[in-house]
Amino acid sequence: MEKTFFINGQEIKVSNYKKEANQISFTLNTQDYSYMMIARNGHEMILDNGGRFKAAVGSFSREGEAMIIANGREAVGAIAEKKMKKSGSRSGGLTSPMPGKIFKVLKDVGSKVKIGEVILILEAMKMEHSICSDKDGVIKKINYKVGELVKGGVSLAEVE
Amino acid sequence: MKIKKILIANRGEIALRVLKTAREMGIKVITVYAEDDKHLPHALFSDESYSIGEGTLQDTYLNKAKLIEVAKRSKADAIHPGYGFLSENAEFANMVEQAGIIFIGPTAESIILMGDKIGSKKALEKINIPLTPGYHGDDQSEETLVKEAKKIGYPILIKASSGGGGKGMRIVHQDFELLGAIRGAKSEGLKSFSSDKVLIEKYVQNPRHIEVQLMSDTHGNHLHFFERECSIQRRFQKVVEETPAPNINQQLRLKVCETAVEIARGINYRGAGTVEFIMAQDGTFYFMEMNTRLQVEHPVTEMVTGQDLVKLQIMIAQGDKLPLNQSEIKQKGHSIECRIYAEDPDNNFMPSIGRIDTIGAPSLRDVRLDCGYLNGTEVGVNYDPMLAKLVVWGETREIAISKSIHSLDEILFLGLKTNRDYLKRILSHGDFIAGNIHTHFIPDHKDELAPKIASSQDLADMIAALSFAEKRLIYQESHVMEKNPWTELVGFRN
Repeated sequence: MEKTFFINGQEIKVSNYKKEANQISFTLNTQDYSYMMIARNGHEMILDNGGRFKAAVGSFSREGEAMIIANGREAVGAIAEKKMKKSGSRSGGLTSPMPGKIFKVLKDVGSKVKIGEVILILEAMKMEHSICSDKDGVIKKINYKVGELVKGGVSLAEVE
Repeated sequence: MKIKKILIANRGEIALRVLKTAREMGIKVITVYAEDDKHLPHALFSDESYSIGEGTLQDTYLNKAKLIEVAKRSKADAIHPGYGFLSENAEFANMVEQAGIIFIGPTAESIILMGDKIGSKKALEKINIPLTPGYHGDDQSEETLVKEAKKIGYPILIKASSGGGGKGMRIVHQDFELLGAIRGAKSEGLKSFSSDKVLIEKYVQNPRHIEVQLMSDTHGNHLHFFERECSIQRRFQKVVEETPAPNINQQLRLKVCETAVEIARGINYRGAGTVEFIMAQDGTFYFMEMNTRLQVEHPVTEMVTGQDLVKLQIMIAQGDKLPLNQSEIKQKGHSIECRIYAEDPDNNFMPSIGRIDTIGAPSLRDVRLDCGYLNGTEVGVNYDPMLAKLVVWGETREIAISKSIHSLDEILFLGLKTNRDYLKRILSHGDFIAGNIHTHFIPDHKDELAPKIASSQDLADMIAALSFAEKRLIYQESHVMEKNPWTELVGFRN
């Protein structure tokens, strides 16, 4: 069986995927891998693939993503069919550089803006981040109001 | 007068740090919490805890009148400000003492003196403390600043007089950058600290940040607890701190420490303080600033000296004599602190927020995790992104490094992106291991500190872990505080 995963946004396909109780095997990049889960305690587990190591998987988000820590490495992962929505909908417009709170909205929908003009200000970690227009045009959409919390990478406004 | 009840005017790990020592001394503890912090351990584990409302920091942890009112109502006889927040606010120190409450910290005069970067240098010049060549004058006209800058010679550093944390700082290498930098530092200073006064200093190439822990009682005793090396910084924020400072001979170490003691004596200081020096590669050092509070990185000093600095703070505040003399303070072994930040070092250090599924705990001996969160608590955008401090002691620096790397793997902070892996890359870097460190270590080694590309083996390990977790696919709404095991206790608090 083929199965697709996303590790840090990168699509990874494995073949010969087989999962039984505490055993998983698959082929990745022509290499065969086989793992046994020796123990689990909450989010944490001990895996064995010829040598033992610790791993942990966090709670899955609405987008089907979870934090993975395996053998000391950290990543955000998702399983293809469980992934409900592409993470960080970056489709067009001006995106938030990081999670934060909308501190000020300086322009209205419909108003004209020049490239570099500040449309709104995001407050995150005690700092202000100006979200500036990326072109000369008219504001088509402003997606948030003052005081609202936003995630990183979401569209805040659109200029046409 | 013996202190019997302390109000801690802070949050997170430092509130818990002070609470611990107070408990050990048999002192009752009152904590305060902003509404969005009500599930955090500092709001739960004290003898009494009071809400200070919601809103901005000005409404909560920086609300002087409210804090004093809580202290009076709960009959606290002392207030410990922790670090940050109101710890270096002279007006607050005054208000506390006027309310008949002991302020566990220096006098308002010392706070004012050392909080003013120009004033403090003028005062220290008089007692012959080495200062970086620079201009600290009152004439703030652009002509004078330009003239003085050229006199000192490039590279120079322009900084806002009341600045901190890298705000209002500019490095200038060439003539054409000068005027823009002066104006930038002035406007940033005005915005952040309501003062556009700037000072200019010689910029030391590859400097080290060496600081000295001081403790002064009210009986004329001024002691040092040796130095800390805090050169590993990112954008002027410390990331890794250690003591003793590597590659410094004993003679230089003592000279630095004794200079710091002269400062404490010279200004008749009281309480815990830290003098920060900038040290050139040849060992020349200059006074940079004095922090009139307990530092974030104080635990490394506690690890190598075996002293409890918070206990000494409390003793000094109640008028006791320091219970030891200089010759009894010794450095034993080596200690390293790693600051765990909720940020994604592989994505431009963007802050991360969310719910912590599992923190984990260090298992090795002489390893301390000072942390202000519990499993299941939320990390939001309203406060500092520092989650915890991992403090490790080893007989040698080499052992302290290897224990730190091992321990970083044990504290997961699962659920959030953290800088743990980045810290491991710093600690494993050849130049760090060799002690070749300076304040530009991080920018200079940017490429080597970048994440290694995951191998097929790494990816396979992650896929296996993810697959085993699959049947536990549960969507967790963030802010699901009902799942917090401590929620039910909250009703018992006032």
